[in-house]
Amino acid sequence: MNEIVRKDAVRPAFDIKDYLRLDLMPHFMCPGCGHGIALRALLWATHELGIEKNQLAVVSGIGCSGRVGAYIDANTYHTTHGRPLAFATGLKLARPDLKVIVITGDGDCLAIGGNHLIHACRRNLDITCLMLNNEVYGMTGGQVSPTTSVNRLTTTTPAGNCEPTFDACKLAEAAGASFVGREVTRQAPALKNLIRAAMEHDGFSFVEVMSDCTEIYGRKNDLGESPEMILSQKADMRPEAFGNVADQPFRPNRLVTGVLAKQERPEYGRTYRARAALERAKKGR
Amino acid sequence: MNAPATMPATTAQIQAAPTRNIMIVGVGGQGVIMISKVMALLGQKQGLQVKQSEVHGMAKRGGIVFSHVRFGKEVWSPTIAKGDADALIALEWAEGLRWLDHLKPGSGAFIADTRRIVPPFACRNRKTGATMNYASETPAEIVSRVADGYALDATSIAESFGDSRAANTVLLGVLSTTLDYPIEDWLGVIEQLVPKKAREINVKAFEAGRAWAEAAQADPSLRFDHAIAREKTYAKPQDFEVRLEINAAWCKSCDICVKLCPERCLALNEEQIAYLKAPEACTGCHICEWLCPDFAISVNTVSREPASA
Repeated sequence: MNEIVRKDAVRPAFDIKDYLRLDLMPHFMCPGCGHGIALRALLWATHELGIEKNQLAVVSGIGCSGRVGAYIDANTYHTTHGRPLAFATGLKLARPDLKVIVITGDGDCLAIGGNHLIHACRRNLDITCLMLNNEVYGMTGGQVSPTTSVNRLTTTTPAGNCEPTFDACKLAEAAGASFVGREVTRQAPALKNLIRAAMEHDGFSFVEVMSDCTEIYGRKNDLGESPEMILSQKADMRPEAFGNVADQPFRPNRLVTGVLAKQERPEYGRTYRARAALERAKKGR
Repeated sequence: MNAPATMPATTAQIQAAPTRNIMIVGVGGQGVIMISKVMALLGQKQGLQVKQSEVHGMAKRGGIVFSHVRFGKEVWSPTIAKGDADALIALEWAEGLRWLDHLKPGSGAFIADTRRIVPPFACRNRKTGATMNYASETPAEIVSRVADGYALDATSIAESFGDSRAANTVLLGVLSTTLDYPIEDWLGVIEQLVPKKAREINVKAFEAGRAWAEAAQADPSLRFDHAIAREKTYAKPQDFEVRLEINAAWCKSCDICVKLCPERCLALNEEQIAYLKAPEACTGCHICEWLCPDFAISVNTVSREPASA
């Protein structure tokens, strides 16, 4: 009746080594960095969707997150700071057959590439944007980023950050992204499922991955070692289903995770190609 | 107190009516409070004094929900003492067993839904073949132990009418056969308490419960489901072998796998590289593999060859 069945999902036939550039491993990320877990979740979702490696194109920008793409044994494209979405837009329009994934960071996506993000959301081209949010510019030494929490210490805010924190998911939703989600790296299978749903979605999908910067941000703010940081993620999150519970005003800092927004909108690539075909027919070419 | 129940229709009969103690237990959301409201109103309709007390809302945190209803000519205490309940209605199997000592020995009626709601902490042992911390007694054992036992799958009966939430009304139907009050009073109270759209289902559920109880009283072998047997374990025997591989060259000593392993079977060696300290404790849950940021751990489950006969 109420038998507890161990799901087969616990035993995936997925070997990450099939998807990595083994000559570059081990990767350059610091011990305990959450970006590795996010990369694993992305490759796991790719494996589950059965996407061929040569059908996958990963575009990344600059920063720790920008290096993540380089370890994937697929078509990877390491672009300029803040511009992976712009490069990916061109790539997807030229090669609509490719599955285009953008890996970007909080500074790359929201500060340097903020404009590209809002316009990519507005166009609704079929790209999956994975924003690895570790609340800091890790590679350049730990400067304040748009998503740094208030009062946190960084090298450029030695007395504590006094700027309000950017909610990237709200921005993406308001700019028109047709799929918006957020998940923490601690919940690796849930993160995989969210990325998978984002990749299956027809249109621009934005996923914010809450990652840990253990060596710079964690150490500077005394957030504990890697295990303590990843364990604390669960205390800071709340599944989307509990988003409107009555105690919300008392816990304003809680993160809401899961699929935050989903809507059906015309996909830009198809609209664009239909318009172009019409124009060609008109000119008799 | 073993006198047969009488129908208190006249004042003289009210004077003679014995105090009835009804105890309702279950898990939050099942309708414990609804049943106690029905009983309280029913008592009032007979012109009796009613006392009712309850603990509710605790089940969400793994606690208990119960309600005491007492009615008679003159009732003082709102709670029922151990061994004093004339009827114990359990909306959940283990909750019923928890309160069994409150039932009056020799005459108390035990009416329970056999449907189990297993709390997560009953399954805390994650090893394969682990025993569950859930009551292992079968309905057959319990029914043979109490004076007047009824164990039925009320949830399934209610589901057959389209709403499992009417399971509490099915149990009310069973209870109505052990207390001699006019059936119109029962139905009147139920119709008064349930929402308009659920009235039809609840009346059907009540009648189904009553019919089941009448059949069970005629044939004691129908009082419980013979098919429900004692369960030894909740986890299936492991038909696979766990092989945990750690790539020492990729490990960066971040300690995540060591601290997040639920079985604490990993450790860092003197070179600060993760190794499997207690291979026998590993259940193959994959958490270390999923959370290793450096892909240094891979958990492989190899299916075991079934032992040839």
